[in-house]
Amino acid sequence: MSPMLRTLLAGTALIAAMPVVAEPIAIIHAKAWTMQSAAPVSDATIVVDKGKVVSVQAGGAVPAGATVIDAAGQNVTPGVMNAATQVGLVEVSSADDTRDAAATGGALGAAFDVSAALNGNSALVDVARSDGMSRALSYPGASENVPFAGEAATIRLREGADILDRERVALFAVIGGNAWRKAAASRAAQWGILRAALDEAKVPGMPSSDQAILNRRDIVAVRQVLAGAIPLAIMTNRESDVRAAIKLAADYHIRVVIVGGAEAWRAADALAAAHIAVVLDPDANLPNTFDQLGTRQDNAVILAHAGVTIAFGRVGGALQENYNAGLAVREGAGIAVSNGLPYGEALKAITVNPMAIWRPGLAAGAIAAGQDADLVVWDGDPLEPSTNAVAMLVEGRQVSLDNRQAALARRYLGAATAPTQP
Amino acid sequence: MSRLARKAAAAAALLAVSGMAVAQSAPPPPAAPWNLDPFPSTYRPLPRSDLMLRHATILDGAGKRIDDGDVLMHDGRIVAVGTHLPNPGGAREVDATGRWVTPGVIDVHSHDGTYVLPLTTIDRESSDVAELNDPNVADTWIETAVNPQDTAFDRALQHGVTTLQILPGSSPIFSGRSVVVHPVHANTVAAMKVAGAQQGFKMACGENPKEEGASSHRGPTSRQGEIAYIRRAFLDAQDYRRDWDKFRAGTGPAPKRDMKREALAGILAGDIHINMHCYRADDMATMLSVAREFGFHITAFHHAVEVYKIPDLLRADGVCAVVWGDWWGYKMEALDAIRAEAPLLDRAGVCVTMHSDSPAEGQRLNIEAAKAAAAGRRVGAVVPEERMIRWITSNPARVLGLADHVGTLAPGYNADVVLWSANPFSVYAKADLVIVDGAIAFDRAAPPRTPVSDFELGRRAVQP
Repeated sequence: MSPMLRTLLAGTALIAAMPVVAEPIAIIHAKAWTMQSAAPVSDATIVVDKGKVVSVQAGGAVPAGATVIDAAGQNVTPGVMNAATQVGLVEVSSADDTRDAAATGGALGAAFDVSAALNGNSALVDVARSDGMSRALSYPGASENVPFAGEAATIRLREGADILDRERVALFAVIGGNAWRKAAASRAAQWGILRAALDEAKVPGMPSSDQAILNRRDIVAVRQVLAGAIPLAIMTNRESDVRAAIKLAADYHIRVVIVGGAEAWRAADALAAAHIAVVLDPDANLPNTFDQLGTRQDNAVILAHAGVTIAFGRVGGALQENYNAGLAVREGAGIAVSNGLPYGEALKAITVNPMAIWRPGLAAGAIAAGQDADLVVWDGDPLEPSTNAVAMLVEGRQVSLDNRQAALARRYLGAATAPTQP
Repeated sequence: MSRLARKAAAAAALLAVSGMAVAQSAPPPPAAPWNLDPFPSTYRPLPRSDLMLRHATILDGAGKRIDDGDVLMHDGRIVAVGTHLPNPGGAREVDATGRWVTPGVIDVHSHDGTYVLPLTTIDRESSDVAELNDPNVADTWIETAVNPQDTAFDRALQHGVTTLQILPGSSPIFSGRSVVVHPVHANTVAAMKVAGAQQGFKMACGENPKEEGASSHRGPTSRQGEIAYIRRAFLDAQDYRRDWDKFRAGTGPAPKRDMKREALAGILAGDIHINMHCYRADDMATMLSVAREFGFHITAFHHAVEVYKIPDLLRADGVCAVVWGDWWGYKMEALDAIRAEAPLLDRAGVCVTMHSDSPAEGQRLNIEAAKAAAAGRRVGAVVPEERMIRWITSNPARVLGLADHVGTLAPGYNADVVLWSANPFSVYAKADLVIVDGAIAFDRAAPPRTPVSDFELGRRAVQP
């Protein structure tokens, strides 16, 4: 938010209904990573109006009346998108009552829709935004209705409580071992139930039998997958499960996305041939479970080289994927580059690729005329974790990069004066 | 000979003479039992090679940066650090133009070897991270649990870690003794163990022990209960220490050995050094009061996410803050963690150290430092790279009592050195050479052709 706009808002804070008028904004002298070509556009002027990019052009003119942000030659990228987090659904992970990510009890399985729980006022949201994240997929955690977790939502980190971008963008299922919670004794049972559920949903009408796997609510979600409206996101890691997922996609003619995919590199060619995308953690190089024995640091490199669409999510494990959802995904992309992924591919894996996976067909994730105007001005290389976002637009509006941590740091900066030497 | 080794030798000498009926002259006082090491190091350096690293950007760990600098290593020691150094002995020269050289990274808070991946449901039932039969397991030695085949050691080494301290977990209040190791491959932890390190010990305050107490019904269930428990235990240890002091002065009978009490007596005597797990400012302030009450010193607060609120208290007592780059929020006592803590503490003159607590973060303490520094920059607390490097080298060396041996590139120091492909605070930097005790323990140009750990060997999922 510009100082002027902040002042304006402070002065009118009580007029709750007052809309913030989006004005044209021009980012000038940008090294613009448009995601339309491999190299950035130098000295670009990016013009934004009504929430969309109007133009991006080297040395382009600034429209009359536009607010100007001078990038001073620094990198400007599309807003970062984290392809799998639970931001907006989790506050204090050790305190159950502050977590809304999973339907751990009750009737909902496939029909559990996380979007109703999203909280834009979460402290985690501010931290992620200040690290340049403008969008993310927030996914449901495992439920007791094995193997379904529920339906994920994409979020958009505009300011305010409402961060919903689109609800029900994917149906999540969990297959395989988990060190701490293995709801079904065997993955054979998990696959069996998943296939039986798909078979059941294929039959028109509602199941009447007591033996039905899906209830009336769940069946609607599963039919969305069968109709091709949303993908089935399978959270799984082991090679045998990755290959089983490829077969499932072929057998039911459904779109499948692998989330996790620690051993996906072992099936890279098959995934590429089946056009199955993988959302993975490029940090991972240790096997958290036996399903991940083949975890290796260049998973992303091998997959991308084989032609698999990759995006980065759940980066850094249970803590980082939520608490530093913006920073961890950038750091992960940097780690992928340091292990051989071309820079442009890494940038795609946190911008256009996650959009293509979770919001296919939407003009977003790139910098071009007509694209969603989510933009970040950085003070360095965006894939370096030591780089800070210095200005950011979401939906064409400049947003605050402040957060609780920065407020605490400012409050106590005075306590941190150098001691007087005796 | 290290202090510990000297004391052990004295103890051995005592045992040798105690069989004689009459001592010829006044025997040395018997060693304090807390200084005996039943698990001595058998570590031997790998085959050493004399090396001269040329034309590097050097961050010496002591606060100095040298451009176009050289480092000469001979027989396991650093001989010289400077520019245009002579090479009279003809040490092998490595052209480090465009590359960076730092002391080996030191991680003072690891669970490698006990939090061994992959985890299974068995770990959930009975983990080796900490013994949980009692809030006081001061008689445990974590090295008796460390599995040297943990792949995390190998990953840490490949990322520039040359020394790490393995601590027991924080569910007990008195969690037991730590061990300091080099992450070199060996079949026993003793063969990794750094000889001469001070004896470390783990204690915990705050949420973790009280949650354990509440769920196990075997310990305090509140912060005040924890502190009362700690004070009771030290009160008891004071008596025990007094009994040993009398015996050692020849004015009392030999006390019966009690391994829990003797560990705490060792803390009171200043021979065993406390790594104290605490998060909140008020918890740390309370523990500093307890330390003052009983006359012991806390070497470092670990996690310590709120030291930035009370930097003067740690500075006054010479206590180090062992912190993360960006962990926050996952539990109530971590809500006020800030990324800028390390730069704020550095600015305040507090000894600050990065730590991992995780085999993943343990590979990237340099990046943790970089993230913290970036957050500092955002609020105007700028720390230059030659100071940042201290957070992962000389400051952690101080926490381990090894500040005169490792963590700094200076003549006489152990040759624990990393040659980085780029600025070590860049995510793109790789450890090209990792030198432990003057031996090349990892060479990125000649990586091991088979898995280092037996665990990964012969597993199809791992093989290309």
